[in-house]
Amino acid sequence: MPLLAQTPAPAAAAAAPAAAEPAAASPAPSAENWVTGYVEFGYRGLTGVGGSFSTYRSVVDLGSGLKLNDTDFTILDPKHRLFDRIRVRADHWGDDPWSSLHIFAEKRELYKFLVDVRRLSYFNDLTSYADPNLTRGIGLDQQSFDTRRYVGTYRLELFNNHLISPYLEYERDASSGSGVTVFQTSADEFAVPDTTTDSTDIYRGGTHISGRRFHVTLEAGGTVFKSSQNTYTYTSAAGNPGNNPVPVFGQTLDLTSLLDAYGIRGRSVFTRGAFTATPFRWLDVYGNFLYSEPRSTVNYLQYDSGNFLLESQVLFYNSEQYLVASQAKLPHTTGNAGFEIRPLNRIRVLEAWSADRLHNAGSASQNDTLYSGSPSSSNASSMLIADQLQAALASNYSQTDTTVIFDATHNLTLRGGYRYVWGNASDVVLPAQGLPGVINENLRRNVGLFAATYRMGTKMSLTAELEKGDSSGAYFRTSLYNYNKVRGIARYQLLKTLRASADYSVLSNNNPNDGAPYLFFSHQETLALDWTPKGDKLTFDGSYSHCSFHSEISYLNPGTLTTLPSDYREDCHSISGYLNTSIHAPGKAGKEHPVQLSAGGSAVLTSGSNPTTYYQPTARLSVPVTKHVGIFGEWCYYGLGETFYGYDSFRAHLFTGGLRYTR
Amino acid sequence: MPSTKQRGHGGAGLIACALLALILFPGKASPQAPKKFGDEYAGSETCQTCHEDLFNNLRKSAHTVVDTDARLGWKGHACESCHGPGAEHAGSADATKILNPAKLTAERTDKICLTCHLNTVKQSERVNSSHMKDTVSCVACHTVHANGPAGLVARTAPQINSLCTSCHLDVKAQFAKPFRHKIPENEMTCVDCHNPHGSARQTMLNTFSSNEPGCFKCHGDKRGPFTFEHAPVKYEGCGTCHEPHGSVNARMLNRNEVRFTCLECHSNLPAVGAMATKVGNSSAGTVPPAIHDLRLPRYQNCTVCHQKVHGSYADRFLLR
Repeated sequence: MPLLAQTPAPAAAAAAPAAAEPAAASPAPSAENWVTGYVEFGYRGLTGVGGSFSTYRSVVDLGSGLKLNDTDFTILDPKHRLFDRIRVRADHWGDDPWSSLHIFAEKRELYKFLVDVRRLSYFNDLTSYADPNLTRGIGLDQQSFDTRRYVGTYRLELFNNHLISPYLEYERDASSGSGVTVFQTSADEFAVPDTTTDSTDIYRGGTHISGRRFHVTLEAGGTVFKSSQNTYTYTSAAGNPGNNPVPVFGQTLDLTSLLDAYGIRGRSVFTRGAFTATPFRWLDVYGNFLYSEPRSTVNYLQYDSGNFLLESQVLFYNSEQYLVASQAKLPHTTGNAGFEIRPLNRIRVLEAWSADRLHNAGSASQNDTLYSGSPSSSNASSMLIADQLQAALASNYSQTDTTVIFDATHNLTLRGGYRYVWGNASDVVLPAQGLPGVINENLRRNVGLFAATYRMGTKMSLTAELEKGDSSGAYFRTSLYNYNKVRGIARYQLLKTLRASADYSVLSNNNPNDGAPYLFFSHQETLALDWTPKGDKLTFDGSYSHCSFHSEISYLNPGTLTTLPSDYREDCHSISGYLNTSIHAPGKAGKEHPVQLSAGGSAVLTSGSNPTTYYQPTARLSVPVTKHVGIFGEWCYYGLGETFYGYDSFRAHLFTGGLRYTR
Repeated sequence: MPSTKQRGHGGAGLIACALLALILFPGKASPQAPKKFGDEYAGSETCQTCHEDLFNNLRKSAHTVVDTDARLGWKGHACESCHGPGAEHAGSADATKILNPAKLTAERTDKICLTCHLNTVKQSERVNSSHMKDTVSCVACHTVHANGPAGLVARTAPQINSLCTSCHLDVKAQFAKPFRHKIPENEMTCVDCHNPHGSARQTMLNTFSSNEPGCFKCHGDKRGPFTFEHAPVKYEGCGTCHEPHGSVNARMLNRNEVRFTCLECHSNLPAVGAMATKVGNSSAGTVPPAIHDLRLPRYQNCTVCHQKVHGSYADRFLLR
């Protein structure tokens, strides 16, 4: 379907003069540069971290040692035997908390092969907020963890650019580690160590069917999920007193031993169909159908001993056996369809419908046996609490969206639209006895959208957007209800070497719900400058941003049974700037490989409910030694400060030096 | 039942407004229609004579197939497949005698690209793409005259992130906060989470396993399905509680202390009016006054006890 400039196709190759045809069919490189790229490695040193080392690890977590900093190279086969090109990128290998490897190999019209591997470390241990044991001198994050995660994607696509192009993909996401979690009883909670593992294997296959006027993708796949969480703790000395050291009904509660284990197994199937078509020059049609059905089965067991209280029956017990078998199934269907129609030269009408249906059904069988007294004594007794629970969660969401885009003049584009969102949701838990939990909510939202974009060539562009929503139902009091979103974006080339950008956004949301109204207001202003006074020899980019959040909700003061407002406020200032210079030394080598210096960083200052500052300045110097080899040095500083939780602050300097080989 | 009387009229109204605007802004008959400069083609090698650098870049990029593959219909005329017939320009060396896509409106520029690229899987969600609706042109991200085998679009993490944040300044500022996904470290890219061509999910979020949030690609342990789900995760997604771009909360919550995130939904004031009329309902999460004395640190950090906050396989109150 030729359009625009392509209206009169040049009678394909026949009309072209033979002499004008290119002689070579591919960009064959010369034999000596079939590998191009660079590799950079070095040694990083970390000064002694001032302040909280746990917080440093939770935020930055960079250590000392030899690193493969970065490599990126491309291999071109001039004879195109097994591949046309292979591109390899890898960075942060060594003892860094995150590493990645990316390989892409291609032989045109035969295959594309992609490998993407990432290794991540998650460490989180901050005692800052609401540690119940802090008054006893114990600083412990009761939800901390130290895990390693591996994410890998392997994809093979065959016969790309052909009518039919099949593909296969395998992904794996796996994690393992340890941490601290909480064993919860009805009158006390006990921090205990735990270990966790989980893995998800995803298999998918499909095919692309492509024609000039249409495209269809069909895909099917499945996942296998495994997860385990285990806790074991035992003490022969004084028991773990937990978070509640105060005697309850005259007795002190404690934990002396605990063994609990989760065994979770899941699997799912999924399918996907997507199509695009251009039946007429003035009409494009789109559609997608997506379906997945994950399932899970779980066995949970727990043995604990100590001195515990069942508050609902004021019953003290010494040990417990708790067994749960549960399962869940969640069929999830998503579909959307739409079209773009161009009835007139300057008008486009976009219409999109989408629907999302998910229905989770779960059931759990629970047996909780409580033992009191010594098993060998005459006053030993036990009590069995058995329960069967059925749970169902459903969400039906639909949306229709109409947009009209009108090119009023060559420089001015206007856009107007209307969106209607509707749905319902329910969340039900049915116990065999006792009170059921039932939630039923409806969603109805009308949204108007307006926007205008003014462009003056590439020198200036101004965009203003307004979205106004009016609801008669929402799921949560914090959901968008009666709201306004405003956004303005401006770009202006002040000078040939200076470009300024500004961004302003506002969101106000008001849920006038009887009993518990909710107000939310946020705005953010950003100004950025790009300055290139001497081309690539000297560049500077800097930005300043201010944001502000305010939310207000009412709550019932249990002491006075009066309604009080709760206010949340946060202000944030963010500044960043980077200066880059390239100094060319005399001679050809110096011209090709200049000395490079870059320096800059960012700073964040927040105020409000939890004032925080975070500074990240950095500087790097690269000096060429020979045509292919250069050396570099880098300095980074990280500094976190908290006003209310000063013991969580830290500061650290990192120095890195190394070699870079470029070919 | 909630009123639905507004439904169905807005779209027609907007079309009427657009038609009215067309009358009010008549402009030229076809202000964006590209001019056609003759019918004669010059051939890429003629273009090379003056634009050797661009020609060489083209030969190194994926677009070289346009010049070499006869099936595409432009063999030897790759330059003119976008710029239109160039013989008049080549003969006169007059820059005004050739079509320059950079000077067209976004929509017109896109149409040139989409002549070949529309019917591909990447464009199957185009109608849901806010980039498309905001008239962000293909060439805002894709550099057609790129140099090198990577060509056309940014491939490395620093390039991708720099490209996205050059427009999304507000997001760039959020990533300066201490707890964030590793975008500033260039260990992740914006397109790991977002699909710039459009997606079935809000905010052009990537999908996992067909139609689930792309977050589960790395956070598979939060996926479930749980026997006892935490409803917001399934109803409104991870962004209900989390600010993935950056936060001062260690778990990237949208409030700096966990209690503020939880209590905004789990307020102890029921919406009595909504319950009575079923209009204006939004009370999911409301809890009756309970044992929690929020003045004590023991009750302030909600997830100490309700640790399975994404959903539980064993406890309806998400305690274990």
